[in-house]
Amino acid sequence: MSSTAEHRASDRWAVLAVGLVAAPLAAGLVFMVLYSLGVVGMLADGFTLLHWARVLGDARTWITLGFSVWVGAASMAASLGLALALHAAFGAGARERESESVGLWYAPLAVPPLVAALFSVTVLGSAGLLSRLAHAFGWIASPREFPSPVYSRSGAGIVITHVALVTPFLVLLFERLARNERLACLAETARTLGATAAQTWMRVRLPVLMRAATPALCVYFLALTGALEVPLLVGAQYPPMISVAIERRFSQFDISTRPEAYALATLYAVLSAAVLLSVFSVRRKRERRERGA
Amino acid sequence: MMRRALVTALTMLGLGCIALLALLSVARRWPWPAVVPVGLQVRQWREVLDPASGVGGAALRSSIMAVTVAALATLGGFVTSRGVARHPQRHRLLMMLNLPFAVSPVVLGVSLSYFFLRFDLAGHAAGVVIAQFIVAYAYAVILLSGFWNPEVAALIELAVTFGADRVQVWRRVLLPLARPLLVLCLLQTFLISWFDYALTLVVGAGRVSTLTTALYQYFGSGDLRLAATCALLLLAPPLAAIALHQRLASAAVAAQWEA
Repeated sequence: MSSTAEHRASDRWAVLAVGLVAAPLAAGLVFMVLYSLGVVGMLADGFTLLHWARVLGDARTWITLGFSVWVGAASMAASLGLALALHAAFGAGARERESESVGLWYAPLAVPPLVAALFSVTVLGSAGLLSRLAHAFGWIASPREFPSPVYSRSGAGIVITHVALVTPFLVLLFERLARNERLACLAETARTLGATAAQTWMRVRLPVLMRAATPALCVYFLALTGALEVPLLVGAQYPPMISVAIERRFSQFDISTRPEAYALATLYAVLSAAVLLSVFSVRRKRERRERGA
Repeated sequence: MMRRALVTALTMLGLGCIALLALLSVARRWPWPAVVPVGLQVRQWREVLDPASGVGGAALRSSIMAVTVAALATLGGFVTSRGVARHPQRHRLLMMLNLPFAVSPVVLGVSLSYFFLRFDLAGHAAGVVIAQFIVAYAYAVILLSGFWNPEVAALIELAVTFGADRVQVWRRVLLPLARPLLVLCLLQTFLISWFDYALTLVVGAGRVSTLTTALYQYFGSGDLRLAATCALLLLAPPLAAIALHQRLASAAVAAQWEA
């Protein structure tokens, strides 16, 4: 096959690949916009901005969005800190060889979010294992006295469950990135040039790891912000996280809330896509600039 | 020394979680403040495994759906990822393939609900499989595009120079080379479907029962013992698969981000 023909075939496969993913997303987005504007759907009464006005004017929308971003950011920050600490403890010493401790991190990958939430309830709930142990030690007299993070309005239970789910993924990611970026060699060079252990971490390891991991961390952050299962099982009734709020409005018996569900879903889809596109674009521009320099 | 202690502590923690679920699944009663159950019984297991409970059927449906999604996504992903990896706009395409993970699965399900209703796929396992396929396929392309590196391109060229035709290149060069990554991709895409609750809830419209929906129903009804029994059924296949492929997976996790 000639080079041009090969490239054309390659282009066709690429178009198919993106089309299979992007086309349904784009079609879904257009449908949601039209439905929320009253143009299509069972409740279509002609073009109206009423549903959008209701969603955007409702303080609960912004509380829900803010709460989701807070839970996503807190989960991500805590997981990141813990994963970096564990990477330092387990993987930072490994050079080109596979770290013997890596295998440990695969087991949690077999735990679905629903099961992780169940763990949280049975361990951290007000009648959970820790509460029973606290009673056995004589620290509390009734389940109500136990400061359970589960079902708390601060979202602490959701954050703890997310951290337990995401940290192993991040440890594996850092382990792999450290090997790909030859971090051990870079660190050794820095040490040879007189850097202290702390300087090596802050000036070499951390920047290299964070830079390589930025797209993955961005996707993880968005996935945590839009999570459904853990907030559904471990979260308080109010404030709900964004996915729970959309699902509630969408699956209500009274379908009059459906246009609002579509408006809320559109708002979140646009915001999350914008965050993803910005992070990837900034990274791409920086790479181009560096290549040019 | 400290590292070993940490490994031991984390291993004990993991085993402790499984043991807690196992204990809960055979507990007769576990009233507060008892630290261990008051009596043991296998009634929960009998109830969950009873055909009348529907959990067996849900497990079978989950398995069939997950195997279908994994096979289609991996096959499709392997064939098309080459086009993405070699495309001049590769980074832009990979960014677009990340979109299903950025927008919540609930938003994905809600946005596609009209089309599923129109094509009579809402409330059917086939509809849920199609919705899960979109996510799993995007993941497969991202993961497998890392395979098409300059070394692989050089090997293909070498095989062609020695007279291999296109079928021989795929059979004798590409498939053996990609096997570990393909197995990992199969496993990961299987898990995407096996773990899914959001798409099953929204697209399945409460009419497609899987292990995750069964677990949620038991949890919602307040019976944590039955939920724990269901959770163990949900954990068993991925734990077994990960134990089998631990070494293989270690070579390729995060490969997608190299792209």
